[in-house]
Amino acid sequence: MEKDFIVRTKNVDFFYGAFRALSDVTVDFEKNKVTALIGPSGCGKSTLLRLLNRMNDLIDGTRVEGEILLEGRNIYAPDVDPVEIRQRIGMVFQKPNPFPKSIYNNITYAPKLSGIVDSEEIEALVEESLRQAVLWDEVKDILTKSAMTLSGGQQQRLCIARALAMKPDVILMDEPSSALDPISTAKIEELIDTLKKHYTIIIVTHNMQQAARISEYTGFFYLGKLIEFNATEKIFTNPDVKQTEDYITGRFG
Amino acid sequence: MRSRYFKQRLFFGAVRLSALVITLALLGILAYILAHGFRAITWEFLTQSPTDSMTKGGIMPAIVGTLYLTVGAILVALPLGVVSAIFLTEYAKQGALSRIIRVGVNCLAGVPSVVFGLFGLGFFVVFLKFGSSILAGALTLGILILPTIIGAAEEALKAVPQTFREASLALGVSKWNTIFRIVLPSALPGILTGAILGVGRAAGETAPIMFTAAAFFTAVLPKSIFDEVMALPYHIYVLATAGTHIEETRPLQYGTVLVLIALVLGIDLIAIIMRSMFRRNKRW
Repeated sequence: MEKDFIVRTKNVDFFYGAFRALSDVTVDFEKNKVTALIGPSGCGKSTLLRLLNRMNDLIDGTRVEGEILLEGRNIYAPDVDPVEIRQRIGMVFQKPNPFPKSIYNNITYAPKLSGIVDSEEIEALVEESLRQAVLWDEVKDILTKSAMTLSGGQQQRLCIARALAMKPDVILMDEPSSALDPISTAKIEELIDTLKKHYTIIIVTHNMQQAARISEYTGFFYLGKLIEFNATEKIFTNPDVKQTEDYITGRFG
Repeated sequence: MRSRYFKQRLFFGAVRLSALVITLALLGILAYILAHGFRAITWEFLTQSPTDSMTKGGIMPAIVGTLYLTVGAILVALPLGVVSAIFLTEYAKQGALSRIIRVGVNCLAGVPSVVFGLFGLGFFVVFLKFGSSILAGALTLGILILPTIIGAAEEALKAVPQTFREASLALGVSKWNTIFRIVLPSALPGILTGAILGVGRAAGETAPIMFTAAAFFTAVLPKSIFDEVMALPYHIYVLATAGTHIEETRPLQYGTVLVLIALVLGIDLIAIIMRSMFRRNKRW
């Protein structure tokens, strides 16, 4: 069967000033699968993730070379509006970062600005997003309360619900459970497993067991290079490259 | 060991003493003004115009004038200052241009107020033909407090966590909406603090309004922003230095000072209440 790749990068180099953070990264992300990016701190995995929805645009003095294609279209082409890209490629951050607004308004904030005005549609969207993020039952009676009153794990699921409300095609997750306790982490992992039916998920993680548990594909980065990209099972049982094996077995990292 | 303990006691003592001196200085000034001025405060004093060469009657026109000038100055400086601060923190690349602007703003803060007065006279009163008026005075005071507002607004914007901006942008919200709907509301309490500082400054300055807005005496209240007004600081200056009965009007002078302080406190109180309202639900 022909694989359907939704995001592809071609020979991507990335520079912070003179520092080369990524060199020659070529990788294809398959649609409706979970792809994990692993590697030691500073290896470039988060940098790559933030390139995929143009979040690195925010940092002065950076430069991208090569191509990043979303369904065949280069998202760094001059005529592309990064706002539009970010509507299709959502992101969940390492630390839960809800807005200092009510739970309800956290969800409706971006959809309303993107032009949804019908109040019934908005309400349906809130419930649907919170249900998808398995948060609905916990917050359905306190929707007007400040999101800041939720626990860390709930806040992170709210952030996922907030991203889902924009109905993106791809969701990027930057170590989404590293600031959470084991129970909250387990909930997030379950959630990722159900979300992949409808979304393509690309997740950066420091936790190798997590990568092994939740992903179909894994990419191992080291010093700004993609060392190996393979099916997760293959990476964790019989990697092609010795460096990958060394990292996974804990010999360095 | 004992010498270290001694040093600590010495230092803590010095710290306490400084705090005490500052508090006493403030209380001393307030008590002095209160003691000399409170007898002058009557209903008539607050609601009548001055009479008998300003040796009797009230200071109502000056209260109204200062209120207009202060509110006008805030209306000029707050939008301009906030927009400048947004430009500096959110849009301008941190390079030569933004450095030059910041140096400019800081220099503006150091310019003596009488210079602003002369500038206001030359530019607003004469060149733009506003005449000596509320408009000219408010614009002059507005420029005077602009650096205060810009500084406070910049600090407030910088204090908004970067994660809020990232969260909003990552949802496919435009930069403008991110600033307007997420960053600015979070920064409002800090911006209002700047406005509070600005109010105190604008209400109390004499030199900038002397040439641009303040009348020596007028019994009528202004009908438009092109009218001259009496103002509390200038009225105090006139009574204390240029009147015909300087000694006799001492109680009136202290009374006027008391009213000025109360007025500034009153405007600040409104801003403080607004600020605490904005702060609710804004913890992170």
